[in-house]
Amino acid sequence: MSFALRTQGLEKRFGPLVALHALDLELAPGSALAVLGPNGAGKSTLLRLLAGLARPSAGTLEVAAQARTRAAQRRAVGLVGHATFLTPTLTTRENLLLAARLYGLDSPAERAARALAAEELEAVAERRAGALSRGLAQRAAIARALLHDPKLVLLDEPWTGLDARAAARLSQRLLAEKRAGRALVVVTHDLARAAGLADRALVLVRGRAAWLDAAALHDTAALEAAAARAVARMESER
Amino acid sequence: MKRNTKLLRATAGCLAACAGLWAFFIWRAPIDSMQGPLQKILYVHVPCVLGAYLGFALTAASGALYLWRRDERFDRLSAASAEVGVLFCTLVLLTGPIWAKGTWGRWWTWDLRLTLTLLLYLVYVSYLLLRSFTEGSERAARFAAVYAIAGLTVIPLNYFAIDLAGGRTVHPENLGRGSLGAGMGAPFALGMLTAFAAFAHLLVRRLEVGALRAALDRAEAEAMRREA
Amino acid sequence: MSALYAVLWKDLVSEWRSRDRLVAMGVFSLLVVVVLYLAAPPGVGPEARAHVPGLLWVAYLFAGVLGLNRAFATELENEALSLLALAPVERGFVFLGKALASFVLLLVVQLATAIAFALAFDLDLWPVAGRLAGVAALGAAGLCSVGTLFSAMAVRTQYREVMLPLLLLPLLVPVLLGAVRATNALLLEGTLPWPALQLLLVTDGVFAIVSFLTFEVVLDE
Repeated sequence: MSFALRTQGLEKRFGPLVALHALDLELAPGSALAVLGPNGAGKSTLLRLLAGLARPSAGTLEVAAQARTRAAQRRAVGLVGHATFLTPTLTTRENLLLAARLYGLDSPAERAARALAAEELEAVAERRAGALSRGLAQRAAIARALLHDPKLVLLDEPWTGLDARAAARLSQRLLAEKRAGRALVVVTHDLARAAGLADRALVLVRGRAAWLDAAALHDTAALEAAAARAVARMESER
Repeated sequence: MKRNTKLLRATAGCLAACAGLWAFFIWRAPIDSMQGPLQKILYVHVPCVLGAYLGFALTAASGALYLWRRDERFDRLSAASAEVGVLFCTLVLLTGPIWAKGTWGRWWTWDLRLTLTLLLYLVYVSYLLLRSFTEGSERAARFAAVYAIAGLTVIPLNYFAIDLAGGRTVHPENLGRGSLGAGMGAPFALGMLTAFAAFAHLLVRRLEVGALRAALDRAEAEAMRREA
Repeated sequence: MSALYAVLWKDLVSEWRSRDRLVAMGVFSLLVVVVLYLAAPPGVGPEARAHVPGLLWVAYLFAGVLGLNRAFATELENEALSLLALAPVERGFVFLGKALASFVLLLVVQLATAIAFALAFDLDLWPVAGRLAGVAALGAAGLCSVGTLFSAMAVRTQYREVMLPLLLLPLLVPVLLGAVRATNALLLEGTLPWPALQLLLVTDGVFAIVSFLTFEVVLDE
């Protein structure tokens, strides 16, 4: 398998508004891409396109070289969005069980149990998802996203609302997943965390992408400077 | 735009010609012995039915094409033909009862054809409401197309349904061979032609409005982008 | 297919825990029966009672629409609908799961309503109970199939509670006419007319197919 993700001319329009201009992107397994940029730039739109929730207006999108149909592409992707996608009336365990069944996994109960263990959620397994704190709900969402062993994991501002310990824990988990061969695309405003995780970075401004030099990812200050320069340059362009 | 103006003029010309001839033949047509001059409203009523059903078929077909090809122009055609079609349908539902009151003494009856046309009208209106109340033009286009397809399947079903319920033959039977008196064939035929021409002309006008709106939206979006 | 069962299981478990849809549909249905009785009390004799079976379907229709309005309500929280949209299956199976869940709930409410109706309108439903259940199920199937499709759309429009009945009712005419005809014949003559059943079966089939196929597009953002 050569690539985890490849897009060519990927574009999304909402009526007259172009939310994402033609984007070319290739991501190898075990690598991580940080997507930065101001609010409303199209970052969430990009993730939702990659996840298969929205259809591209133009261009192609391939996830995990051999996925042929839209459904097969969705199989290869795990998404952690702004919302947790958890059903509040079901328990944490049941939510994971639901996801396991939706993804057609063998022995769903066992997979759900393993996912609970991986995020150390056994203590709240029988608690209704609606009663989970933000940090626990986020961990449940991550467990859900990784449950079906996706080749590409998409995360939309995953560190928002987490305390320092939980945020560090998440970074550790993501690094581990990277080492295990998953490709990651992370939208974030947290440049420190991005620098620590990503191999490449791009900045989105009003739907247009600018790639940042890999060297900028060595430390937070460099990343911040490079991102600011890119944003300023694109905003002044017509 | 230039092409559209030509098309606009062409359809307007056709319409003027047809309508002129048609009006002349209606004026010249003999007055029905039983129904009196009121019968002449049928020269309007029947052609409008063509417009109403044609409109909906076009709405559903272009909706399906939009879902297949995702070309915005199909969606614009769908929206335009729905608006023109509902206009014709309104005319059918206005002219019919006027004739009915004069001839049968009642404004309305739950006859098969009347009920079907009323239902078509309701589907049209729901379609237009769905378009207005859905946020996001792309989503509106998708939802409207799905609804139009569902609505189209229901028309033949409704035919059998209402038939089953016994909603039948108060409505005059169709214009079979020789059922018309002498001198009535021409206005009916011309009426159909005029309806077709009117539909085409109104459709072209409405499509033009749609295209202009799209261009305006694009310009506005561009302007907002520059300001930001 | 496991996705179908997953969605069905989720809806039924959620409903069992809160029972809000069921209770709302049930109570509303009872209220409708009372209102119908007050508005159109049956007289004595067959002609005066000929409209009664139709009234039963008015109650069923209102209960059905109420239930369908809430079909996607739980999915709005935490964007749980996106999880369904993410499932790597033909989205028609998600539709089937949802529609079946609404169908089951409606069947339960239909049973309770029939009992209340029989009491209020002094009907003896027992001899035709089995066939009546069959007709009720066929009607409910038609209602829940396009109802689920339109509910998924309505939930993403403004005025969502109003949108669903507006979209749904014109399309339910064949279902209503077939069901009322069949119920009429059952209650007044004890027979089940084949044309009415045929209409119901064909309509249900067409609605199921159209809804299954178009659900893919409806769940897109």
